[in-house]
Amino acid sequence: MHFDPVANLQLLVSGLAIGSIYALVALGFVLIYNAVGVVNFAQGEFVMFPAYIAATFALPAVAVFGGVVHWQLPLIAVYLLVIVLMVGFGLLFNRIAYYPLRDRGWLPVVISTIGVSIFLRNLVQLTWGSQPLVLPPLFPVDTIAVGALHIRPQDLAIIGVTALLIAFQYVLFERTTLGKQMRATAQDRTTARLIGIRVGRIVAITFVYSALLGTVSGLLVAPLFTVTKEMGALIALKAFAASIVGGFGSIPGAIIGGLTIGVIETFGGFYVSSAYVDAIAFVILIGVLLVRPSGLFGERVAEKA
Amino acid sequence: MNRRVLALIVLIVAVALIPAVVHSDYILTLCVTAGIYAIVVMGLGILLGFTGQMSLAQAAFFGIGAYTSGWLTTHLGWPVWPAMACAMAMSALVALAVGYPCLRLSGHYLALATIGFGIIAQLVLINWKDVTNGSDGMTGIPAPVIGPWTFEHYNSYFYIVLVAVLACAYVAWRIKTTRVGRALEAIRENEIAARATGIDATRYKIIAFVFAGAYAGLAGSLLAHTTKFLSPDSYSFDQSVVFLVMLIVGGSSSIGGAILGAVLLEFLPEVLRPLKSSYIMVYGAAVVVMIIFMPRGLVGLFESLRARWRRGAPPPLGAAAAAEAEAA
Repeated sequence: MHFDPVANLQLLVSGLAIGSIYALVALGFVLIYNAVGVVNFAQGEFVMFPAYIAATFALPAVAVFGGVVHWQLPLIAVYLLVIVLMVGFGLLFNRIAYYPLRDRGWLPVVISTIGVSIFLRNLVQLTWGSQPLVLPPLFPVDTIAVGALHIRPQDLAIIGVTALLIAFQYVLFERTTLGKQMRATAQDRTTARLIGIRVGRIVAITFVYSALLGTVSGLLVAPLFTVTKEMGALIALKAFAASIVGGFGSIPGAIIGGLTIGVIETFGGFYVSSAYVDAIAFVILIGVLLVRPSGLFGERVAEKA
Repeated sequence: MNRRVLALIVLIVAVALIPAVVHSDYILTLCVTAGIYAIVVMGLGILLGFTGQMSLAQAAFFGIGAYTSGWLTTHLGWPVWPAMACAMAMSALVALAVGYPCLRLSGHYLALATIGFGIIAQLVLINWKDVTNGSDGMTGIPAPVIGPWTFEHYNSYFYIVLVAVLACAYVAWRIKTTRVGRALEAIRENEIAARATGIDATRYKIIAFVFAGAYAGLAGSLLAHTTKFLSPDSYSFDQSVVFLVMLIVGGSSSIGGAILGAVLLEFLPEVLRPLKSSYIMVYGAAVVVMIIFMPRGLVGLFESLRARWRRGAPPPLGAAAAAEAEAA
């Protein structure tokens, strides 16, 4: 196979785009893990559920519970509406799946998030049926030409929005009181409580923020794939793999890990095997776990006791 | 004779009489499948319930067992019994190969590594067409034969599964009540303390993982020779989740709970038939409710009810809650 720089650049752009999605979802994992010491196995549903809500409001005709709705709101209004709804969703999720189990160790919480995940996936199927929905992209054009390159504007939108969100998060965590309280809670909950931080509230906010990260990635990725009840699951699994590759618990690790997996997977799917493209992330994962279980940026390799 | 042993014998005899009383092929199919799932779930119980290690790859080992058995009997023309032994050994071997690196990890890492392995295994089943025949599925798998009898129908296959369930339950019970079981329990309660008392935690975790794999492999082979058709769809991540749910609902550290959970959830869709396709949704909600209000599953609930009944008076609320929390 001869080396084609244009094709490789195009692959790189789509790899970075899908990698950005993994990075956002991985951040959601890491923030919740740091705050409460538990991996949220319903993180994929934080991606899938908002995509369904958005499709319901945005498309000309959507079957809901056997009836058909025709809201077709403008895309920006839809995005805002979904974000508001997902704030409520994050609060509810914290209240139901985490709060009652907060003193019972990690396994019950993991199992309860798996329960919520099964519930949501099938709720979605019951509500919207099994027909996939197609969410319109931000920009109506298919590809734009940059020199010899043909790039999907949605890919650029994904990379751009992700970069903005990461910058926002950096400012939030480093420059605001709320962010400092979140970091303090993540570092040591008992001490945080002792110095007057309302830990329960910070945890709730973390769940909401994590749900919003999922929402943004769901809205961004939906136009590339279709909206199905399975769309979140695989993204979340790969994002989790990404966060471990980066070093679990590390925020830069989640970002770098996500981008790395996205790029390797895209190139691997093109050059090595398209049938096994979904296995690539997990092969990398198992490799990293064997060679360097603390990941690229990991210091805190041990599970919290 | 001990009353519990007597009750157990009565129960086994009653179950053994089912094919004589029930003539519905459909109900017998459900019984056979429930028994097969019970074996997988008991295996998971050894890992999760006894040892406190989470695996979401149980469906993958189930699939490896099923396909090993199917391939050996259809491609190489082996008789069923040695193929079944090989299927079990194969799943155990793969569990060893996967468990060795992964069980140096714990908790979430292990859960995730097993999910990854499960997904890779299913992709291999779909794409390795020379062996598995891909999405078209593997057909023509023979039924087991003993002397002049062929176990073709569900009413006879029922007994093979029953014997397998009892054998697996016995092995699990032996594990639980001996030195190995106590080591596993120590690891579950506090791995650092267990290591400090000289328990080789990694080795014991691998043992538990291999047992979980072997159980799933045997169950997979049993499934292959009764359905006689294998398709990669049956060995998905979702199936692993269903096994997990069965264990949690039944009671994760109890052998009886594992069997109860598998049987109950296999028959539950029939009971919930009015809900049609939404029963899996009810599964999901049930898991959350169970884990919050009944952390030890149905078996735990029965035990606390019985304790209350024996004492004659309801125990103080605080004591019951404390006992539940301690057990969790």
